[in-house]
Amino acid sequence: MNLKVLIIDDDAVVVFIQKKLMANNEISDSPLVFKRANPALDFIEAEENDKEFLILLDINMPGMNGWEFLNELNNKPDKHRYHVIMVTSSVEQRDKEKASQYPMVREFLEKPITNESCKKIKDIPEISHFFEKV
Amino acid sequence: MLKENEKLKILVIEDNYGDFVLIQEYLSDEYSNFKIERAENFRIGRKLLVDHGDFSAVLLDLSLPDVDKPEKLVKEVLELANSSAVIVLTGYADKDFGMKTLSWGVSDYLLKDEITSSILAKSIQYSRERKRVNRQLEESEKKYRNLFDASPLPMWVLDRNTLEFLNVNKAAIDLYGYNRQEFLKMTVRDLWVEGENVGEETWKKNKDTSFSLKIKHRTKEGKLLFMEVETNPISFDGRDARVSLASDITGKMKAEQELYHSQQRFKALVQDGSDMISIIDENYHYSYVSPSVENILDAEPENMEGRNVFDFIHPEDEIRIKKYLKFAGNKKTVQLPSYRYKNGNGNWRWLETIMSDLRDDPAVGGFVANSRDITQFINQEQVLKESLERYDTVAKATSDLILDFDLETDELKFNEAISEIFGYSTDDIALNRKWWESKIHPDDFGRIKAHSREMVERKRKLMHTEYRLACADGSYKYVLDRSYLLTDTSGNPKRIIGSIQDITDRYNYIKAIEDSNERLREIAWTQSHVVRAPLARIMGLIDLLRNNRENIENITEILDNILISSEELDKVIRKIANKTER
Repeated sequence: MNLKVLIIDDDAVVVFIQKKLMANNEISDSPLVFKRANPALDFIEAEENDKEFLILLDINMPGMNGWEFLNELNNKPDKHRYHVIMVTSSVEQRDKEKASQYPMVREFLEKPITNESCKKIKDIPEISHFFEKV
Repeated sequence: MLKENEKLKILVIEDNYGDFVLIQEYLSDEYSNFKIERAENFRIGRKLLVDHGDFSAVLLDLSLPDVDKPEKLVKEVLELANSSAVIVLTGYADKDFGMKTLSWGVSDYLLKDEITSSILAKSIQYSRERKRVNRQLEESEKKYRNLFDASPLPMWVLDRNTLEFLNVNKAAIDLYGYNRQEFLKMTVRDLWVEGENVGEETWKKNKDTSFSLKIKHRTKEGKLLFMEVETNPISFDGRDARVSLASDITGKMKAEQELYHSQQRFKALVQDGSDMISIIDENYHYSYVSPSVENILDAEPENMEGRNVFDFIHPEDEIRIKKYLKFAGNKKTVQLPSYRYKNGNGNWRWLETIMSDLRDDPAVGGFVANSRDITQFINQEQVLKESLERYDTVAKATSDLILDFDLETDELKFNEAISEIFGYSTDDIALNRKWWESKIHPDDFGRIKAHSREMVERKRKLMHTEYRLACADGSYKYVLDRSYLLTDTSGNPKRIIGSIQDITDRYNYIKAIEDSNERLREIAWTQSHVVRAPLARIMGLIDLLRNNRENIENITEILDNILISSEELDKVIRKIANKTER
């Protein structure tokens, strides 16, 4: 599959839950996990150009935070390859509005994510074709 | 009779020599000294008359060889003879003709057969006398004609019955603008003003007598004239006529009318004017009070005349007024200070009076006092004074800076707050717009300048602005400026009154609250993340347990994580509780 799934979150428990749910909902059996945003960015840049990325992104992280990561992506020419799902414990409307300003943000989810959240992800028009059953 | 030194000079036009000799002899009988000349025919006679015109008399024979028509002869000789008397000599046969010549101007006719020395002498003498009288008459007529024509006053002669002009003089022509020909086709009625019949009536009553009248005439150009006309009946060329002498009294009438108007005006001023005019004698008794006092003071002049002025003046003002009256004799006019005066209803009114000393004027014989009721003015002044005092008190009492800016003179005034709040000494600063503007914070200046321009140009009455204003020590204070635009009666901006409040403390306080709010918002946001992170984990783990109970191998790990997250949550909540308590 040409869609790579990345989980960027510094919280191990959150990563554990999300990995489990990705697998259970057949989004990805082996999502790539990054505790920091920077290495994730390096990884993306190293990948081939035909790859697309589903990124579950936390906002509050040490080092580069979620917003800074988004800004980096925003500077790239091939933005359509990035499908970002914001996953945050914040319940503030301000953050939600801020996120919607970025063109590659597809969804804004509050922690914890659930099976319901996963279904929403699979229904996102830009990426739904990756999950169609043959 | 002839005077001694006057020499008789006779021309005899006679073809018959014998007759001539006879005449010569007759004359010698009567006159000792005379000159006689003879013309044998008309041609010679004519020449002599033309060359020497000064004959005393011409004796003319009617039957001359070179004359066919005696009538023509007589008339030509009369013309040439000028001042000489012409006596015709004729025979019996021509007696009737001789008589006829008298009507042409011949002085006498003599029948040749009847002539004697004395008849001839007498005829010559009478003829000469008649000629002289006629000449005098002619001259006198001429003189009178000159008097008429050259009179500086307009004159005319009218037919007494038809009123047609028979003659007019130059002065009339000049005054009325009609020429002689026009006048002679008019009647005097054409001069009269339409609709007035004083001319017609006077004329009808006095058709054949002398009379004079004042009447309005109109000139050819339509100008109205007042005329005084004197007219007398005369006989003119055999007609019943009257001669009229007119004088233009338009100016006089105008002057009289103006005098009348002026008197009316004066009367109106004294009687109905807004000033009370009175005459006061030396003991301050009213000798005259103008009727206008009824309107001004509700009083009757007759109730005041004879009474003392101080019966009416307020006792508190009496001494002051008396002091001024002492000087009334020294100067022509004295202006008294305003004083209270009891009106007809017993109420006090404020008056202002000018006294003129006219004691020397026999028509007045006292002081003329010109008084005006200024009660309303005094009351207004009082209101104004109180209002000003109030303004002054407010300006002193307020902690605001009060600014009064005159747009025309560029003059600024402040109350004491300029030194008390802002530290400026009014002695050291230039009180004008430029100085003021230099004290506005540069970052605020553009905005404030635009505001004040809008205020003046759009005539906005009221304007609230906030800005920073420099103090004497260079620090800035935040101020709330409430400016009010004053306009004149036509709405043109005149002054700006500004109340400027120091809101630095309030501004700082609000700023502190705003800063604190911002900090609290940040804390709340952080806290929500910190608190929600472990909670979200617990919720996620529980969800995992419930939905995947069958295929979870590491259930212990999940439960451990729930415990760790719960403990973390507990710690966070305690921490918040501790912070809030402090």
